[in-house]
Amino acid sequence: MIGLALFLALAGQVGVLNPFQGVFLRITSPVESVLNGVFRPVASLLSGAGEAGNLRDENNRLRLENEALRNQVGELQQNAEDIKGLRDALNLTQGDQSVKYVAADIVHRDASPFTDVVTINRGSGDQIQVGMVVVSTKGTLLGKVTKVTATNSFVRLITDTQSTVSAEILGTGADGSVKGTPNRGLSFDLAQGEIQVGDQVVTAGLGGGFPRGLPIGRVASVSGTSQDLYKKVTVEPGVRIGTAENVLVRTDFIPESLGLED
Amino acid sequence: MKAIIAVAGTVFAAVWQVTVAPLFPVWNITFDFVLLALVLVAAFGTPRRAMVCIPVAALAYGFLANREPGLLVLAYLPLLPLGLYLEETRVPLNHFGRTALALVATGAWARLLLVLGAVVGGASANVGFVLFGVVLPGLFLDLALLSLVYLPLRLLGWSGQSMSLSRGGYYSSL
Repeated sequence: MIGLALFLALAGQVGVLNPFQGVFLRITSPVESVLNGVFRPVASLLSGAGEAGNLRDENNRLRLENEALRNQVGELQQNAEDIKGLRDALNLTQGDQSVKYVAADIVHRDASPFTDVVTINRGSGDQIQVGMVVVSTKGTLLGKVTKVTATNSFVRLITDTQSTVSAEILGTGADGSVKGTPNRGLSFDLAQGEIQVGDQVVTAGLGGGFPRGLPIGRVASVSGTSQDLYKKVTVEPGVRIGTAENVLVRTDFIPESLGLED
Repeated sequence: MKAIIAVAGTVFAAVWQVTVAPLFPVWNITFDFVLLALVLVAAFGTPRRAMVCIPVAALAYGFLANREPGLLVLAYLPLLPLGLYLEETRVPLNHFGRTALALVATGAWARLLLVLGAVVGGASANVGFVLFGVVLPGLFLDLALLSLVYLPLRLLGWSGQSMSLSRGGYYSSL
């Protein structure tokens, strides 16, 4: 049996099992659809009931944020009109036309305190490649594609303990890296600059693994004194990662390191 | 026929593990339905059948969750030697007690091994969290799940079987 385990480990490393994995995922997908259809609504109901207190707090916080954002909207609308006028004057096109997405459903998840990997129902047949970035339907960073079969892809979420994303604080120049922590949380290892609760965390684009400027979340807590070499910073993801059902795969972005290997 | 049902049940448990189990976490830990299926095959079927189901479960779960099937075989492997050991040493426990002990010990080993796999892959973990955040809650969940399933199966007329391998035809027992 130990010999079999070693054989399977070796076969997995060499990639001999990949075609079988693709076929197996295809065969089991109808069963997964049925189970998801039955149990996801039940889980949502239970989750909503269990988090009533948290939702109330979140609602109060969002009300305050909403008021502040409404005040900003007026200012931004004025700025947008100014920018539009300037763009027209310079003959520039509106928006980034090169960004392309493929929509996908999360079909199953492997969640433990140390791993957070989801499987989506899009694969190499849908132009998905290893290294592509996965975001929520609102554009918040969720993770990265780590393996692709013909019909499915595996995505390591940013809350997985093996995930590291170079990140920066929007508007302040502080940067560092966001890492997944046990129990599917996020921490921010600050390399330089100042940081405070409420700061928006976005991808820095360093290393070429992720495009710059993708929203990750906001700083939820900063602990430690000013004399501490490293402060303990936790980040609240911008999207409820645990309950996401639909995602977008950004197909126009291939990490630079993989591009060089090609 | 029973062997086919056991193998199909094990595969279904793997599918259940990645679709339904993550939807109902307790203390951020998911129930291990694959381990439960293997324990039930070993406790109510034959150990040889369980020997077939362990690699099948490892392959199915590995394929679905993109984990190393070889690591999963090693994770679930101690179940049979443990069950056998508890029988041979005549530990004063009934069938449920022996089954439960084999389950929680294998569950603890499996969770430790998978944490080790994650740490080797780059995850950071401290011993306290692994013990009190992963292993102990996992033991409780495994035991609770077995307790929920074991009694109804006995009431349905399933009888507990020995986990010791008797000499003789391997294929005839399938």
